[in-house]
Amino acid sequence: MRSRPRNRIAKSGFLLAASLLMVVPFLWALSTSFKLPGDVFAYPPRFLPDPFTTGNYLNVTTLIPFPRYFINSTIVTGTIVILNVIFGTAAAYAFAKLRFPGRDAIFFLLLLTLMVPFQVNLIPLYKMMVELHKAIPPLGADTYFGLIAPSAVSVFGIFLMRGFLRSIPDEILESARIDGASELRVLRSIVFPLAVPGMATLAIFTFLGAWNDFLWPLVVTNSDTMRTLPLGLALLARRNTSDWGTTMAGTIVTAAPMIIVFLLMQRRFIEGLTAGAVKDGG
Amino acid sequence: MIASIARRFRGASAGYLLIAPVLVATVVFLVIPMVVSGYWSLTHYNGIKPPQFVGLQNYLDVLSNPRFQRAFQNTIFFVVMGMGIGPLLGLGSAILLNDNLRLRALFRTSFFLPTMTSLIVVATIWKLMYADNGIINAVAAFFSLPGHPWLTDPTTALPAVVVTAIWQGFGFETVVFLAALQAVPKEYYEAATMDGAGPWAKFRWVTLPGIRPTIVFVYVIGIIGSFQTFDQVFVMTNGGPIQATRTIVFDLVDRFNKLDIGGASAVAYILLVFLAVLSYVQLRLGESRD
Repeated sequence: MRSRPRNRIAKSGFLLAASLLMVVPFLWALSTSFKLPGDVFAYPPRFLPDPFTTGNYLNVTTLIPFPRYFINSTIVTGTIVILNVIFGTAAAYAFAKLRFPGRDAIFFLLLLTLMVPFQVNLIPLYKMMVELHKAIPPLGADTYFGLIAPSAVSVFGIFLMRGFLRSIPDEILESARIDGASELRVLRSIVFPLAVPGMATLAIFTFLGAWNDFLWPLVVTNSDTMRTLPLGLALLARRNTSDWGTTMAGTIVTAAPMIIVFLLMQRRFIEGLTAGAVKDGG
Repeated sequence: MIASIARRFRGASAGYLLIAPVLVATVVFLVIPMVVSGYWSLTHYNGIKPPQFVGLQNYLDVLSNPRFQRAFQNTIFFVVMGMGIGPLLGLGSAILLNDNLRLRALFRTSFFLPTMTSLIVVATIWKLMYADNGIINAVAAFFSLPGHPWLTDPTTALPAVVVTAIWQGFGFETVVFLAALQAVPKEYYEAATMDGAGPWAKFRWVTLPGIRPTIVFVYVIGIIGSFQTFDQVFVMTNGGPIQATRTIVFDLVDRFNKLDIGGASAVAYILLVFLAVLSYVQLRLGESRD
């Protein structure tokens, strides 16, 4: 569809305004993170901090352990992504390509669990982790294990990968089996390499969900050294209503890794996130 | 014969082996907690003394509790406002983007930024902007409008939080709708043009049916997500002022903190029933095309 020039300018103007509305709050946060406390609410507002200070970043790296939060988020998210991709792909392969009694019934029951909101399991899971921690101190509540375990596999991921793996032709798998390859060998040498694009999509979904997760880390951790970035930031934002510069420095530190990864792998992200939405019905 | 049975058997044991981790994790971290939570919802339980069976008492208490009722209303408001406005804006800008090729990549990138960041980040930034002498009131003052205590006035606190949710979801909705629009075959539009269809008729009879599954998808994801609203409220208003932004999940967590585990579990099950009914309705709506 082609429209008249004047129309085009109006449309571009609208889209430009909309994208400014999306970007400006982040720039405002960035600007505030370099301001002195007295300048945060200066009127008229100033976009360029004057004087410019990096003191807020010093605060969030020394007074508040954001580096530790960052390490925690990285460990937790990284492990969750790896476990989801491995277990999710393996299970999806079994559901898509292997025959065994009860396969479809089990898959259907798993799909039903997608309807259960996490909040239903929240408190029993917490109690379970508390008891586990009492029995075996390195596991359970307030440990990496406690943060990771409930998210180690996702039914949604299996569902996503199953759809993807069904498109692998049976003949390739069959010829490998005839050559004497075991199922695990087939999985490792044939399915995994062919499934890389699907695994990337699954990894992106899992990464986004785990990095931004809030309710479970809030409940399962209680020492400052186990907090993840969103949790550390939320508690800072609630506690600290006067020192906005420091809070915004924490915000930037929390948001920046995600935004940088997104800008580097933009096409992958957008294709991955939209694939499920459009293909399903298309 | 024997070889083929053996091969099938091998396939079967491999199948069970491959799904075992997922099954074990699902049972331990999902099925068992869900059953336990269902049992607790029928008991008085404070997490310390053993649970005492009380039948449906918690459900009656929760449903007649003014705080829960307020939380329920607020959540419905959140869902209706957020889902009433967000996806429409997303669809509108996707249609504009579909048309406008030159700067599309730039627009798409900037729209998507809030989607990449956590609700906590979004809530923190908006809390700063909503502050009494924050940027929003400064812009209002520039236009000689009076400032407003957005988050501390009970009448504006909830809409103000909804705005942040719309802002955060807008980019995702736009990008998903844009992908769907691009997947509608061009020939359909050409055929419609030959039949003399105007822009509105094309939208109604070609575009809408073409992107219908995506519309259902966006609403399913969006409604389920907004029913579980908690993060923004926790950061921006802590459920206040005077319960004005209390949501169902906030009510649940609040009960948990006050060691009313029976009540919290009942709230969780009420949420579960609501989402299950909604998902069912939406699935049927999604199926009934053609």
